[in-house]
Amino acid sequence: MSTATSDPPAEAKPQTSEKPENTPANIAAPPNGDSQTKGENGAPAPAAAPKLTNAQLKAKAKADKQARRAQAKVSKDPAPGGAPAPVSAGQSGHPATESKGNKAKGKPDGAPPAGSGATGRATGARGSVSIIPPKPESSIPECFSHLSMAKRLPITQADKDVHPTVLTLGQQMATFAIDESITRLKATLLAFKKVIDSYTTPPGNTLARHLTPHVLNPQIEYLSACRPMCFSMGNAIRWLKLQVSKIDPDVPDVDAKKQLCASIDAFIQERINFADVVITQKAADCIQNDDVILVYGRNTLVQRTLLHAHLVDGKKFDVIIIDDPYERQGQVLAKTLTAEGVKVSYSGDFGALQYQVKLADRIILGAEGMFSNGALYGRCGTSDLALAAKDFGKQVYALCETINITERVSTDSLTYNEIDPERCSGSSFRLLYDTTPSHCLSTVVTEISSAQPTSVSYLLRKLEDSN
Amino acid sequence: MANNDATAAISGQLPIRQNPDVGSFDIVATYHRLLADDPELTMPMATIEALIEALGASSATTVFETMKLVEAQSDRLWQSPLVANPMAVRHGSDFFKQYLVRELRQLPSSTGAASGSGSRNEDQQFEGIRQHLLRNARLFATRAKDAREKIAAEGRYLIPDKSIILTHGGSRVVGTLLGRAVERVNGDPPRRFKVIYVISESRQTESDKAVAALRSKGISVATIPEGGVAHVMSKVDLVFIGAEVITAQGGILSRLGTYQIAKLAKIDGKPCYVAAEQHKLGQTFPVDQFSFNCRGFQQNSLDFSKTTNSGSSGAETEDEKRAVELRSATPLDYTPPDLITTFICDHGVKSTVAMEHQVIDMFVS
Repeated sequence: MSTATSDPPAEAKPQTSEKPENTPANIAAPPNGDSQTKGENGAPAPAAAPKLTNAQLKAKAKADKQARRAQAKVSKDPAPGGAPAPVSAGQSGHPATESKGNKAKGKPDGAPPAGSGATGRATGARGSVSIIPPKPESSIPECFSHLSMAKRLPITQADKDVHPTVLTLGQQMATFAIDESITRLKATLLAFKKVIDSYTTPPGNTLARHLTPHVLNPQIEYLSACRPMCFSMGNAIRWLKLQVSKIDPDVPDVDAKKQLCASIDAFIQERINFADVVITQKAADCIQNDDVILVYGRNTLVQRTLLHAHLVDGKKFDVIIIDDPYERQGQVLAKTLTAEGVKVSYSGDFGALQYQVKLADRIILGAEGMFSNGALYGRCGTSDLALAAKDFGKQVYALCETINITERVSTDSLTYNEIDPERCSGSSFRLLYDTTPSHCLSTVVTEISSAQPTSVSYLLRKLEDSN
Repeated sequence: MANNDATAAISGQLPIRQNPDVGSFDIVATYHRLLADDPELTMPMATIEALIEALGASSATTVFETMKLVEAQSDRLWQSPLVANPMAVRHGSDFFKQYLVRELRQLPSSTGAASGSGSRNEDQQFEGIRQHLLRNARLFATRAKDAREKIAAEGRYLIPDKSIILTHGGSRVVGTLLGRAVERVNGDPPRRFKVIYVISESRQTESDKAVAALRSKGISVATIPEGGVAHVMSKVDLVFIGAEVITAQGGILSRLGTYQIAKLAKIDGKPCYVAAEQHKLGQTFPVDQFSFNCRGFQQNSLDFSKTTNSGSSGAETEDEKRAVELRSATPLDYTPPDLITTFICDHGVKSTVAMEHQVIDMFVS
């Protein structure tokens, strides 16, 4: 995943060459065209620049954005036949040139490399997006309208300040190439490190006051537009903003950036990498010889725990994998485990749930997040499994890094959730997550302490105190 | 952790003996002597006192050496096959280690880890702490006994008038609690209650002693065998049980039979109170009845066999055999937190979740 974020152009380029015919004119402005537009608009631009005040620039940018949005709507509405391309092409010429001109005026030095990078990648993404039929959001009933859905946002609709690494990351998240909460968090932090690295404070500003609103916020907005942020990302971003605001204005840019990157590295090390090691060990301790462990789908932490118990601790146990019928990630886990010599039985759905829970000694679940009332936010289906386990009096362990704990509270599965963009039609849609009430869990294993699920909020407070 | 840095710096400069010499000191024997000398002493407290005696017998003079010593000695103690409940020992030694670390944190931090005079100064201060510990070794035990009185003072208010209380085992805390409840305390009239005592056949003498002690205080006691708990539960108003160890999730490890009493009380909707001192808290995390998640802690409670006398315990070495025998003689079970109504401890009446928070407070900082 780190390789993916560090090397975005390599991924984007082949796509560009594959689907040149799908690229609408507005984004497709090829390098030479770009220079042409610049040449044409170049004359009036310098003249206009001094006249425009900051407020005017802002207003113009806003109008621009609206225009882009309207255009996006128009291009989405028609059926995915051949129609959208000419429509958007016909429409787009005007706003595109306008935005280019604006860029030239507003950010004479910083923008061009970022802009050209964006266009290069945009074409690829646009190409892939036009294959999938646009999702009519209006079909979701009113009462579920608060639920968000991952969108393959064309990169042209992204804010011009979005860093190329973040653009790629957004696409990876939107396509669920990066899916698990903790992996998304790690990728985001690494991408933000790149953003901070390429940042220079404009004269007359201080890093502490400029970086967050003008550089970080557009990235965050873009990422959450691609796919709603998970709790850990929210937590980490809040932390990052705090770190930025703490930077002394007298510290030179280079040192401040170094300091920020170092603290991001430390954060990743402490709250993700080290946390995973501790949780893996603690959870592996709970596995006994001759146990039958039941797991749901595939979760990195659960997989590492099982492998640790098998390879490092040398315990002998069997694993039952019940898979999410929509994701089939459990097959990956089954293959990994059998390759290491663990006896695995696999079932693709909940058909034999009762029987399998009865066979199992304990259930190990990976958490996507934890609410402070002790409820677990996990892959859709987790709560069914936990409920069945509770009925049979089996131990249910939830593995969760403390960064995934949110101070929010949820008692049902509909307050916070996401709609599966792949399975969302006019008549029905599927939710990606569900909420398992705390009484269905016996223990939450976090890196600082194993605890009853209801103590999660206390752990959170404890963490805040120590920070 | 400034201390770690400081000790690391010191160890970089000085030739440190990795295994501080404690002479002919035998911590296991000391532990058993302490327990035998004072029947009122709990296992975690005996551990702490034994560790303090080990400190006295050693020549360790630096922070680093002392921590190493305490570590090594407590490991030896809880891994010993002669110790009946290694978890209680671990809780005691964890408590003591935590106490030491807390004391050391309060030391004014030395100026710069590298400066020799700073660390020497720190060592002098540490020597002060050491001397204080050695002089006041009994202080821990006295405090523990005070805790028992405090629990008795808290617990009496949980006893409704003319109630029937069910209890079992030889818990000293519960004994004190019931004994104090029939006394007049600061103008508070004595509680009126009767006790149903569950007699354990395998521990007849202990049960008889406990019943006699209660009767001598003027409490009317009825005795029933362990098989009769469910039968009498409808007459019972509340259940008092003691604990050997309070685990990190707010459950308890206690005499075999506690779990079933708690479970039966839960089914009949009777409150089940656990009276236990705070120092029994610890970071252990039992998984279920058969795995207490403590290395080497095996009790052979299930021995399937076709003949009436089979001695196959599954243990390979002589030591393991002895350990299993010893632990099977005083078997324990684990009562999960959802069966416990509240804890009565020296800081008041606490929910199981509050006990868990105490553990987090103690060991996470």
